Amino acid sequence: MNATPRALIIDDEVQLRRLLRLALESRGYEVHEADNGARGLSEAVFRKPDVILLDLGLPDLDGLQVLKRLREWTETPVLILSVRDQEDVKVTALESGADDYVTKPFSTAELLARLTVIQKRGKPAETPVLQAGKLTLDLSQREVLLGGEPLKLTPIEYSLLRLFMQNSGKIITQRQVLTTVWGPNAADQAQYLRVYVTHLRKKIADAAVEIRNEPGIGYRLVLLV
Amino acid sequence: MNNDHHSRPDPDALLADLLRTEADARSGRLFIFLGMCPGVGKTYAMLKAARQRLLEGVDLLAGVVETHGRRETAELLEGLPVQPLRTLDHRGHELHEFDIDAVLLRKPALVLMDELAHSNVPGSRHAKRYQDVLELISSGIDVYTTLNVQHIESQVDTVRQITGVTISETVPDSILDCAHDIELIDLSVEKLLGRMSAGKVYMGERAELAAASFFKEANLTALREMALRFTAEHVDRDLEDIRRARRVSTPWRTNARLLVGVGPSPYAESLIRWTRRAAMRQGCQWLVVWVEGSRPLAREDQERLARSLNLARKLGAEIVSVTGDNVGAALLQVAQERNITQIILGKPGPRMLFQTSMADEIIGNSGDIDVCLVRPVLANSRLARSYRKPARGEDAPGRFAEYAWAVGISLGGVALGYAVFAATGYVFIGLMFLLGIIFAAMRFGRGPVLLLATLSALSWDFFFIEPYFTLHINKLQDVIMFGMFFIVAICMGHLTTRIREREQAEIRRQRQTTALLRVTQSAALSAEPDDGLREALSTINELHRADTALFVRNSNSDRSLSATPHPAGTFVPSAKEWGVINWVYDHKQPAGRFTDTLPTSQATWFPLQTSTAVMGVLGIHLDEDAGLDFGARVSVEAYALQLALVLEKEQIVQAVNRAQLHHQSERLQRTLLDSVSHELKTPLTVIQASLEGMAAAQISSPYLEELNTASRRLQRVVNNLLQMTRIESTAVRPAQEWCLLGDVIQEAVSTSAIGDALARHPLSIAIPDDLPAVRLDSHLVAQAITNIVHNAAVYTPADTPIIIGASVHPGSRSGSVATLRITISDGGRGLNPGDEERVFEKFYRAQGSPAGGTGLGLSIARGLIRAQGGDITAGPRHDGAPGAEFIITLETETMAG
Repeated sequence: MNATPRALIIDDEVQLRRLLRLALESRGYEVHEADNGARGLSEAVFRKPDVILLDLGLPDLDGLQVLKRLREWTETPVLILSVRDQEDVKVTALESGADDYVTKPFSTAELLARLTVIQKRGKPAETPVLQAGKLTLDLSQREVLLGGEPLKLTPIEYSLLRLFMQNSGKIITQRQVLTTVWGPNAADQAQYLRVYVTHLRKKIADAAVEIRNEPGIGYRLVLLV
Repeated sequence: MNNDHHSRPDPDALLADLLRTEADARSGRLFIFLGMCPGVGKTYAMLKAARQRLLEGVDLLAGVVETHGRRETAELLEGLPVQPLRTLDHRGHELHEFDIDAVLLRKPALVLMDELAHSNVPGSRHAKRYQDVLELISSGIDVYTTLNVQHIESQVDTVRQITGVTISETVPDSILDCAHDIELIDLSVEKLLGRMSAGKVYMGERAELAAASFFKEANLTALREMALRFTAEHVDRDLEDIRRARRVSTPWRTNARLLVGVGPSPYAESLIRWTRRAAMRQGCQWLVVWVEGSRPLAREDQERLARSLNLARKLGAEIVSVTGDNVGAALLQVAQERNITQIILGKPGPRMLFQTSMADEIIGNSGDIDVCLVRPVLANSRLARSYRKPARGEDAPGRFAEYAWAVGISLGGVALGYAVFAATGYVFIGLMFLLGIIFAAMRFGRGPVLLLATLSALSWDFFFIEPYFTLHINKLQDVIMFGMFFIVAICMGHLTTRIREREQAEIRRQRQTTALLRVTQSAALSAEPDDGLREALSTINELHRADTALFVRNSNSDRSLSATPHPAGTFVPSAKEWGVINWVYDHKQPAGRFTDTLPTSQATWFPLQTSTAVMGVLGIHLDEDAGLDFGARVSVEAYALQLALVLEKEQIVQAVNRAQLHHQSERLQRTLLDSVSHELKTPLTVIQASLEGMAAAQISSPYLEELNTASRRLQRVVNNLLQMTRIESTAVRPAQEWCLLGDVIQEAVSTSAIGDALARHPLSIAIPDDLPAVRLDSHLVAQAITNIVHNAAVYTPADTPIIIGASVHPGSRSGSVATLRITISDGGRGLNPGDEERVFEKFYRAQGSPAGGTGLGLSIARGLIRAQGGDITAGPRHDGAPGAEFIITLETETMAG
């Protein structure tokens, strides 16, 4: 991680920008602002931010469009800020390349926590062993340990757990889960997904992690503290 | 290996078996008690069976039961619920008939219908009782009925041969095919005769039975054999069907296909019946082919042909109508195109020169196809006597004039001949006569032309060939010339007439095709659909000289028939017709005049049926004396199909337009919602973030606490209001997925969903472990549960328990659809009486409720559940404990884990 991580806020509400700047600067971020989509795009080029906070309702461009343009050339983590809490908008944003979203009104603490999670994504851990709570997943051995004890999982449960642990803390849409675990033509599995997840949840009930359902969107592996 | 191939079950048979099982499940079942003749005890057996069913608790109703004054039968009928007969007034007579509407309304499980072959009294809905029975079955009612073997359509010929009695009341064989079970009531002839002499047998209403000594021992034995054989054939076929489907050593059916050629002769019916029997025996498909020649048929022949073809249709044949003057060639062509294995023809009688040649031609050119000549039997001897071989149907009124013209032309020819005879010689005059014949042939019918040819030849000889004024001819040369003249005249006349007739037939066909094309085009291409319909209907008016009426169903979503006729129609039916129209619409079958169903109606009504739906009903109202022949009926059905397609297209377009409009307004609403949420939520975010910032900066003040509480409350209110708006704008679309209910409930009561409202209440979730997985929108259901539980937590005293339970109840429909019931009970004071419904009203807040609610939580919950087709009700707890209970009911698919 850089000495001072740079954050870019693209939002047209000046009050919100000021508040976010306060919160971020208190955490040691170097903050840049843009009040519309076009400026946001050019700021993203000049400032090379480590993370971008993007409001979906911008005066000139649709936030989704800004996101798509960003994704044409950069993999910089993007956190969506939105007042629209309809699930389809969130799913579209996530599938267009956003890393996470928070719905206004949001709590600053949560926002900062999400930012930390998505920033980590930039540098995936190169080790073949994933850790989350009391769970240890050894990619090379295809083995899962719960508190040191081997845990028996079906192949699908293993794939699910691997996906969640690789993206620990981050939201994964239902379609992302389906295409990763079942392959590109798995739309008809959607209706069973929940049942599989429920079974997996029961097996890792004591692992101090939770596969949290984000209704209508997807899942997120959350560490319980 | 061959065996392997043969033991493979026929997929079609399997499908048919499935369809039959399915049909059995959907519609009612027909049980037939079949006997050889009256008096064997069918009614008695039926009543006994019915009593048994009554004991089993079946809701049965005696529709019509004829006891014929027999004591044993009447005793059996006692105690059975009987449907009173309907009284009809027919020309001053009071007639009684089975009341089908009353029975359909009452909808019992089983109806007893004695005497299946009975003809209903005039004014009833159907001409025949079996049609009543079919309607009962199709509306899901089981029927017990009785039938004598001589009333079965295909057995009529045989019965007539045996007993000499012509049976006029018949039932089509196809109704026996839809019978679930046929039970033969058998009695030995001896016993029957014994019962007769004891006076226990009712002889039948018609004197003919008794008069023809129907009940002779020989007759009875033959009838008994027929009944036994008939039942055996049916049992055999059932067995075969089962075998084929179940792959029990499959006796493979041949791919036979029978074709029978019929014409307007009264023998056709007998041929059709014969072929049907043969087809049944072989279990194969059969075609009835009618070759339409260029000459129009006489009215009487048309009607007879239509009757025969209707019979064929009733018996389940496929009817093919082709055109051509060479009947044999046309039949062979159909036979080759359709891979026919056997052609059935009437055996030509000695008199029928024409048919002999046709049969010979077919036999000569049939190649691989078997040809079977059948001796036709006339079902009705009276008909046979009156029948002449059809000549041609020419329009009678013009004919006398044509003969007069023929005489006139020959007289004129003689006069003109005299004037020029001296100058030209008799050969010229001969040619002149020929010219006259050709002209006449272009205009007149065959008869006048033949007369003219004969008259011309004779007068030529009489007046102009030596010796004059005798028919005698001296010179051999002249004799030959006269002979040649005669032959040429006849041939010319014949050929010219034939060409002309062909031409006329062509024109007739052309007119029908053009009319159909016009109907199609005008209906499909016109910009205003109504104009198109008007033009299409006026085309039908012109072609059939009939008035038309059109009733269209209301729309794609409202499938009921519009009560006002379409303005394009020219005929306004009386209120009485409305019943027929609705019947046609419901049953997808033509009815009214010229049909067997409600034939006393003013008009004939055809359903406008596409492959997916019935779009409406087309009525054809003909003049009093006009008839609707087979050809006309076929063409009206073709128009009906065209109109139906046009109407369907129109309604689809309307539906698409509506959907588009709806979509647009939805988008508008969504934009509005978005900007409202933006405006409300942005300041809330600022407030919230500022408060958190202050907390982080360790600023503490009692004002801050108040501010915090108020801000949270404001957030809740805003969220609720926005959600309510979304539910009301029907923007909530459920997305179903399989899930375990326990999981959904856990989610609903998690802290992230419900906040700290549950901190003060012990919560118990009582869900059976074996609850199957259910298919629902888990998000919406969870949210509804959250709202109810939150409501319970807020409105009940601290430390009172909240209990969530769930159960699945198998649905009434078959399959995996079940009713899911989720109950949420609390330990509070319970609802105020009268509040059970009102708590779901928007902004309603019960008396004495704590401050801080919006009164929206429960109405949102109900909205969310109703969006999925379920409901929420509230009431006192079912276990009697104090407190309120909310019950969510949802129809859902289930999947046992």
